[in-house]
Amino acid sequence: MASSTNYDVIVIGGGHNGLVNAAYLARAGKKVLVLERRHIVGGAAVTEEIFSGFKFSVCSYVVSLLRPEIIRDLDLPRHGLEILPLDGTFTPMPNGDYLWRVNDHAKTRREIARHSRLDAEAYDDFGQAMLQMCRFVKPILSMVPPDPYTLNPRELMKLLFLGRRFRDLPSGDQYNQVQLMTMSAIDFLDQWFETDVLKATMSASGIIGTFLGVRSPGTAYVLLHHYMGEIDGAFRSWGFARGGTGAISNAIADAAREAGAEIRTKAGVARIIVKDGKAQGVVLENGDEIGTAIVSSSVDPRNTFVKMIEPENLPDEFMEDINRYKFRGSSGKVNLALDGLPDFSCLPGPGAHLRGAISISPSVDYMERAYDEAKYGRYSRGPYIDMVIPSLTDPSLAPPGKHVMSCFVQYAPYKLTEGTWDEKKEEFGDNVINTIAAYAPNIKSLIVGKQVITPLDLEREWGLSEGNIFQGELSLEQLFFLRPAPGWAHYRTPIENLYMCGSATHPGGGIMGASGRLAALEILKDYKAGKA
Amino acid sequence: MQKDIIIVGGGHNGLVTAFYLAKGGFKPLVLERRSVVGGAAITAEFHPGFRCSTLAHATAPLQPAILRDMGLARHGLKMTQPDVRVFSPTPDGRALILYGDAERSSAEISKFSAKDARKYPDFQKSLANIADVIGDLLTLTPPDIDHPSAGDLWSLLKTGKKARGLGRRELYQLLRWGPMAAADLVAEWFDTELLRATIAARGIFGTNLGPWSAGSAMTLMLRAACDGEACGATWFAEGGMGAVTQAMAAACREAGAEFRTGAAVAQIRIKDGAATGIVLDDGEEIPARTVISNADPKATMLGLVDAQHLEPGFLGKIRNYRTHGTLSKLNLALSGLPKFTAAPDEAALRGRIHIGPEIDYLERAFDASKYGQFSEKPYLEAVIPTLTDSTLAPAGKHVMSVYVQFTPYQLRGTDWDNQRDNLADTVVKTLAEYAPNLPGMILGGQVITPKDLEQTYGMTGGHPFHGELSLDQFFTMRPLLDWARYRTPIKGLYLCGSGTHPGIGLSGASGANAAREISKDLRK
Repeated sequence: MASSTNYDVIVIGGGHNGLVNAAYLARAGKKVLVLERRHIVGGAAVTEEIFSGFKFSVCSYVVSLLRPEIIRDLDLPRHGLEILPLDGTFTPMPNGDYLWRVNDHAKTRREIARHSRLDAEAYDDFGQAMLQMCRFVKPILSMVPPDPYTLNPRELMKLLFLGRRFRDLPSGDQYNQVQLMTMSAIDFLDQWFETDVLKATMSASGIIGTFLGVRSPGTAYVLLHHYMGEIDGAFRSWGFARGGTGAISNAIADAAREAGAEIRTKAGVARIIVKDGKAQGVVLENGDEIGTAIVSSSVDPRNTFVKMIEPENLPDEFMEDINRYKFRGSSGKVNLALDGLPDFSCLPGPGAHLRGAISISPSVDYMERAYDEAKYGRYSRGPYIDMVIPSLTDPSLAPPGKHVMSCFVQYAPYKLTEGTWDEKKEEFGDNVINTIAAYAPNIKSLIVGKQVITPLDLEREWGLSEGNIFQGELSLEQLFFLRPAPGWAHYRTPIENLYMCGSATHPGGGIMGASGRLAALEILKDYKAGKA
Repeated sequence: MQKDIIIVGGGHNGLVTAFYLAKGGFKPLVLERRSVVGGAAITAEFHPGFRCSTLAHATAPLQPAILRDMGLARHGLKMTQPDVRVFSPTPDGRALILYGDAERSSAEISKFSAKDARKYPDFQKSLANIADVIGDLLTLTPPDIDHPSAGDLWSLLKTGKKARGLGRRELYQLLRWGPMAAADLVAEWFDTELLRATIAARGIFGTNLGPWSAGSAMTLMLRAACDGEACGATWFAEGGMGAVTQAMAAACREAGAEFRTGAAVAQIRIKDGAATGIVLDDGEEIPARTVISNADPKATMLGLVDAQHLEPGFLGKIRNYRTHGTLSKLNLALSGLPKFTAAPDEAALRGRIHIGPEIDYLERAFDASKYGQFSEKPYLEAVIPTLTDSTLAPAGKHVMSVYVQFTPYQLRGTDWDNQRDNLADTVVKTLAEYAPNLPGMILGGQVITPKDLEQTYGMTGGHPFHGELSLDQFFTMRPLLDWARYRTPIKGLYLCGSGTHPGIGLSGASGANAAREISKDLRK
């Protein structure tokens, strides 16, 4: 590479994947620069003090998928990462009852038995089956997807490895695995359970961040994806980061800096400089040019290829694929600063049920109708809401006696048939609060601050195209060797020395960091081979 | 009277299986519960002087091998296909007409969009290429995943080679399209809503999927694999679909198969894990070494086999096999030819008439069914077979056969006996929006609801394909993983119906594949 380049690698975007990418590259001795457009790093994994004294995990609000090898390799606990437990899911019901599942298995069994004895028994088997499935899928998350077209022996070995793994599964697990990959969350759960509210609330993890309903085929996979929480080695446990989700990004950034990476905020990249089919540097929004041997982009494919690169540098077929890559953001967020704790009519008073997730998912029909509205371009009048009150577990997030409550809301389709998101923002937020008030009537009187985030806000402020929190839908045709585009699932791009390392690459989605890590390993491999 | 082989049910797949076994020197006995063989491919008089294909009313081409081997033409079968494949009107009086010839279809599409007209032949070509690969899979016995035989590997390798022959771009397209929603697939190609809806409908016909349901693109490709056409083939049999199965039955008899109609099987006898014969509902027992069921997997394994012979895991899975039917049928006797406002001439009505002008229209029709209702604006596929076949109705009069979707098997708060007339009214009202003079022409009719499909025609859940055609119930998973090779956990008991691979439409491929596997076992 020409000697005029200042850096070995420039990472575009300081989200968690960009930071993981930078940290691994810096640890391998590369001179790395991370460029973040916003005033803080973290991307969608940030903590911000929106109202004085109230700190919000503004976008992403819980963690479980962060790869253990990353926590280990980057020694994140030493850099300040501490995961606090988030125990259970509490689902209030309109009839005054509730469903409250916790990590304590025996307790959950008793609770489910209150609704159905059969389901309580099935819950054990279900847990076992899901554990097996997670074990099967786990190594795939840490694997660069093979190219099914190639005859390259190494790629064929990967395919063979997958085939063998599948073949070696016991028959019942093969059956479950196929079902999980293709079925709808409800069809899958119907086979195990009869209690409507149980199915509804479990199916919710199958739709998060997708533009699919609980009855849409393919959602069973997302359910598994979310089942794979892996804090301290236990599947299906979720947690909070002390100090909010931003603390995760800060810990990774700290590890990256310690390894020698440079991180600049308020440094938005306007363009990637491409000469002779090779990435050579970037131009910042302020006009500054920075040279580099390699560009690694953690922003989504639309931002990278449509906005930052002149079209003549990219093959038409590739651009066709990028242009039809589906974003279709479907969720929003309402963050509330509260004067006290919400009081649920079905289980009054403060209690452990407020320390876990509180899920507004009272019935399967409710969930499906929420989706039906979104299909035709309206936000759901009866939305699915996933709430947490992290200040109960981590008092540093709010003034004494006061609380922060984070409400993830689905569906909020990016494309509205009537009106714009700026016009509908208030109404959307009010609808969420009214929905919650039906279960916790005191909520309205507690609100001292309210932040509403629409899909349009996610796009404008966080650079997530169409407001998709996973940088592109987690639907089957956009997973594994098809993510983000057929033939380009190995973190490389048609432009030499330009790599992708964000959520839009395999495995994508959630605060996992796997994309950033795998991309870094591929970049280092190319370095070693003298290709980069 | 010891029989070598008994086939339970004389639907088209049962007949195909019977034929190939008889031709192989065996002597199968086909037992049909109803008074006629033919299953879902039958012709009957539904109003004095008016006959029509009671259920299936048009088809993709039958597999050439089956046509040839059974000598169906020699047994009197005349298949015809009009140039017009589909006529797709809008409520405001426009219409899209698609032909078998892609160029001619393009000319029609150009009235809506020049860009779509340019892309249509490419779409057709792309589908045909992919169909060529999938088409091979249809005639294949799904491989044994745990212990693939040399033959399995060889066929897979051949298909794999062919798939590679598609080239990188099309292979990836095949992999990407499979799990997609039909609505997304057509949106990748076309801008015209009417064209999108007309083609996407192929992905949802007979299924419990809306055009926005992931996996509906797979059904679309499967259909394309059967006929190689973008808009779908529209073959008619002279004398209705019953003519197909009548010719098949004749071929079977000639080959040496025996038939008994009015013979309802109540139970399959099993001893020491092996089938030993059947019991009819009047108590008569017929011993046999081999029992082949053309009934659907649930009706067979849960209805005819005593649960004590099956292990709980298998039973659980077969119970979970999804058979939620959404299709109904309305057959109308008409005093004349209805005038469709958007039809330029009578010829335009000779193929299928598609009612479902927008993707959202189709999706909303589906939405209602999720909550146990049928839509006020259903998706319809109609044919007027009397335009090309004068044998079905008195001169000058017509028959209209209408498929209705989505009508859920399980209605909420009411039942099909109460909703039968309501459904007919809804369909006629919907049709009248496109052909205002139709209601005044109705002389009589027949409504077939999902409950009727189950009770009269033996299809569990009223599912016309013996089980949902979805990714998790296809190929090596049809009907169940480990049991996709026409065999069952009961020795000597086989499945040969639509609930086995490939199980789509009137292809007869399930029956032919089953016969091949059964012959192998019988010769051991």
